[in-house]
Amino acid sequence: MDYQAFKNAVAQAAQAQGITEYELYYEYSEGTTVEIFQQEIGEFSSHTEGGVCFRALVEGKMGYASTEDLSEASAAALVSRAVDNASVLETEEQEFLGEGGQVYQTVERETYALPSTETIISKAMELQKALYAADPAVIDGTSSEAIATKGEIAIFNSKGLDLHYENTAFITVAVAVVSDGTEMDNDYEVKVGDPDKLELQKIAADAAASAKAKLGSDVAPTGAYPVVFAPSAVASLLGTFSSVFSAENAQKGLSKLKGKEGEQIASPAVTLVDDPFYQDSPMPMPFDAEGTPTYRKNVIEDGKFCTLLYNLKTAAVDGKKSTGNGSKGSYASSVGTSPFTMYLAPGTLTEEELLAKAGNGVYINSLGGLHAGANPISGDFSLQSAGFLIENGKKTTPVKSFTVAGNFYDLLKGITCVSNTVELPMATSQTAFGSPAILVEGLSVAGK
Amino acid sequence: MISREVCQRVLAKAVSTGADYAEIFAENTTNHLISMLDSKVSNISDRVVAGAAVRVYKGLRSVMATTIDTSESGLIACALKAAEALGQGTAAMDIVLKERLYGDIHPIRVVPSSVANAEKVSLLKEGYFAAKDYDSCITQVSGQFLDVDHNILIANTEGTYAQDRQIRTRLMISAIAEKNGETQTGGCRPGARMGMELFETVSPRQTGIQAAKQAVTMAGAGYCPAGVMPVAIDNGFGGVIFHEACGHSLEATGVAYGRSQFAGKLGQKIANEKVTAIDDGTIPGAWGSINFDDEGTPARKNVLIENGVLKSYMIDKFNGRRMGMESTGNARRESYSYTPTSRMTNTYIAPGTDRNEDIIASIEYGLYAREMGGGSVNPVTGEFNFAVNEGYLIRNGKICEPVRGASLVGKGSDVIMNIDMVGQNLDMGQGMCGSSSGSVPTNVGQPMIRVSSITVGGR
Repeated sequence: MDYQAFKNAVAQAAQAQGITEYELYYEYSEGTTVEIFQQEIGEFSSHTEGGVCFRALVEGKMGYASTEDLSEASAAALVSRAVDNASVLETEEQEFLGEGGQVYQTVERETYALPSTETIISKAMELQKALYAADPAVIDGTSSEAIATKGEIAIFNSKGLDLHYENTAFITVAVAVVSDGTEMDNDYEVKVGDPDKLELQKIAADAAASAKAKLGSDVAPTGAYPVVFAPSAVASLLGTFSSVFSAENAQKGLSKLKGKEGEQIASPAVTLVDDPFYQDSPMPMPFDAEGTPTYRKNVIEDGKFCTLLYNLKTAAVDGKKSTGNGSKGSYASSVGTSPFTMYLAPGTLTEEELLAKAGNGVYINSLGGLHAGANPISGDFSLQSAGFLIENGKKTTPVKSFTVAGNFYDLLKGITCVSNTVELPMATSQTAFGSPAILVEGLSVAGK
Repeated sequence: MISREVCQRVLAKAVSTGADYAEIFAENTTNHLISMLDSKVSNISDRVVAGAAVRVYKGLRSVMATTIDTSESGLIACALKAAEALGQGTAAMDIVLKERLYGDIHPIRVVPSSVANAEKVSLLKEGYFAAKDYDSCITQVSGQFLDVDHNILIANTEGTYAQDRQIRTRLMISAIAEKNGETQTGGCRPGARMGMELFETVSPRQTGIQAAKQAVTMAGAGYCPAGVMPVAIDNGFGGVIFHEACGHSLEATGVAYGRSQFAGKLGQKIANEKVTAIDDGTIPGAWGSINFDDEGTPARKNVLIENGVLKSYMIDKFNGRRMGMESTGNARRESYSYTPTSRMTNTYIAPGTDRNEDIIASIEYGLYAREMGGGSVNPVTGEFNFAVNEGYLIRNGKICEPVRGASLVGKGSDVIMNIDMVGQNLDMGQGMCGSSSGSVPTNVGQPMIRVSSITVGGR
C-alpha cells in the first residue's frame, strides 16, 4: 500500500493497542544512476527505496521499530515491535514528540525538474568526453557518473504534526585516472545542481588537473610546519569532528564543550555557522527530524562558543530550546543531532596571501582515513595527507604519503588566518561541510 | 520468499529486450541493535529491510533496477524497467530454474530473533559493567548488542535458484578513560556468523575488560613520535594492514578497469616471499563467511598470494566478463539497493615460521602495534592509512611505554614487500568493510608480522 494508506493502518493499529503518543517518519527516494567507462555505459541503475520508522511513548519510554514493508500486516507488527522494544529501555531522560502548528521558514530556491533518462546518459557521456579531452595524461579507468534523485520525507504524529518535504538533486561525479607512463594517480570532483547550469567542462578539467598535479609527488619531510589546509581538507576535518558540537555528546561526556558556552574556544578568526538554508546546500531543510523549525545560527562567533546543537530531548536536559538540529542517519535511526550546512565564515585574505603568510610549510588539499585516524572524543588526529610544499610563500613540489597530526580543539585555537572564499566540496545531502582555506601554525608532519 | 515459477516469469521479462543474462536478488533482513549508554539501555533499533533488485547484462553493460514491491506485479515492473533501460530489441531465452540446496556450513543453534530482548540485554550488561567497573578512570562506556537475520534469494538465467539465511551476532563495547583531563578510547567488538551460541566461546565480561583496559592504558600514554621505523603488528585485527594495503587492490572492482596497483600482475612477485595471503569465505561460523555469494556462486577458499607471487584476484560475475575470468565467489552487496561487486570475505596472511619474541627482539627502535583501528586505501595508487589503537615503543628489542595517536601510512606495493617476518599465531578480527556495494561484514587476520620500514604518523 502507499504511504497515506499505511499511515491510516498504523494509526488504527496504534489505537487498537492503546497507544496514544506516537510518530510515523517516512522516507522515500527514487533515482537513476549512469556510470560511463571508456565512452560506454558500464552500469545503469534505477532505484526506488523507502521505509517508515514508527516510534511510540510507552510509560515514558520511546520505543522504535521500522520497516520497508508497507503492508497491512506489517503496520500492526510495527506497532507491537515498538511497544516491545520500549519495555526494555531504562534511560530516564524524557523523550518528546514535536508539536503541531509550528511556523516554518520557506525555502526560497529555484527548483529544477529531474532530467529524462536520455539527458542523464548524455550528461554523463559529455562529462566523460570532457575528461579524456582535458589532458593527454588521462587514461582508461577514468569514469563519469550522473545521478538524478528525488527524495521525500514526511513526519506525522499524534500531536497534530503532519509535514511533508520533497527535494530533487542532479549529481555529477568525474573520476580522472592519469598516468605519466611510470606512475598512476587519480582524483575526482562531485558537483550538484541544475543539469542545464552545471559546467561539465570545468568539472572534468578540475578533476584531471588535480589528479595530474599529484604525479611525481615526493614525500614531505618530517617536522613541524605552518600548514595551509585547502577548503576540502577543512571540510573533511569539520565533518569528522562536528560531533563535538552535539549536545548529546556533551551530556554524555563525549565532547569537551560541555558548559563552555560564552568561552573563547577558538581563535578570533573563527566564526562557525550552521545554516539549513545555505545558498549552495543541495537540500535546504525547513524542519528537522522531529519537525522543529530550522534556522541559521553561529556555533562559534569570533572564537567565542555560542551554542551546542540540540534536539528536543537534549534541550530539555539542559533547560534550553531545541536548535532545530534533530537528525536521523536514516529513517530507521533514533533521533540524534547533526548540523545542516556547517561552514567556517570567510575572512579577507586571498589564498595567495594566505600562502605568503605561511612562508615555508605544507599545503594540504586531501586528508584520508578520517574514520580511523581521527578520534572525535579526544580530538586527536593523525591523518594521511597529500598536497604541496609551500616554499617562499608559493605552492611548489607535490607531496603525498605523509601524515599531519594534531588535536581538533587545539587546531580551532591555532587558526591564524582564514581566506575569503567558502567552498562546499562534497555536498550531496542535507548535511554538508564547507570552509575557506585556513592557516595553522606548527603542526606535526611525518614523512621521510 | 518468491516461488520458482514467479522468478522464471520475471527473468523472462528481464531478458525480453536482448539481455544475455538476468538475475533476481531478493531479501528480507531484520537488523536488531540494542544500545547502552550512561549505564542504561538507551535505545533499540529494530529494522526490516525488504526489497528486490533485477539485474541484466548485455556484453559489458549492466543495468539494475530495485523495488520495495516484491509482489509478482512489482517484480515484473522492476524487470521491465531494467529491460527497457538496456535498450530496444527482442529476445526469448529458455529459462529453466533448478533449485539448488547448498549445505549450510554455518548451522545456527539458537536463532537470536527467537530470543527475548531481556536475554540479550543481560549479556550486554555483563560486558558493559565489566568495562564500567574496571577502573575508576573509566568515565563513559557505550555498548551494543547486534543480531542480523539476512534472508536472501537469488535466481538467474543460468538456472540458479537458491536461498540462504545468514545470521550474525555481535557484542560491541567501547570505553572512555580520562587521566589528567586527557581522554582516550578503547574497544572490543567480537562477532561471528553464529547465533546466541557465540557466547559459549566469547565472554561478555572479557570483552568489556579488554575495551576498558585499552582505554586506561592509552589514557596514560604520551604521543607517538613521528618517523620512518620498523613496526611489529600483532595478530587478529592487525590483519587490517593486508586488507587495506593489498586486499582492496586485488578486487575486480578496480582490477577490471585497470584501476589498481596490481592490475596485470598475475604470476608476478608482488610481495615478500614470506607472505602467503588467502581469502576464504568458507570458514565455518566466521564473521565474513557465506555459503554462496550474492550472485549465487558458492564461496571458495582463494589463495591470493603464495610465497609472494600473485595467484588470484577476487572476482564477481560482471567484472569477470571484462577480465575474461570466472567468478571466485566474492560478489557481495550490503542490501538489494546496492549493485554487487567483488569484495573480501575472511582475508588473512597465513602463518609463517617466525617466533613472536624473535620479531620483537629484532627491532632496535620501532613500534609495536598491539591493536589496530580501521583504515582506508586508494586502490589506484595503493596509498593506504590506518590507525593504531594500542601501540607501544620498542627499544633494544623490548616492548616499552604505550604511545597514543599513531597512524601508519604508505603504499601497498611497498609495504607487502617489507613484510619480512611472519609469526605463527594466526587470529582474526571482525570489521565492517565499506566500498561501492555498501558495508559488508569481513574478517581480517594474520599472525604477528614485522614490517621492516613504514611511515609512522605521530608528533
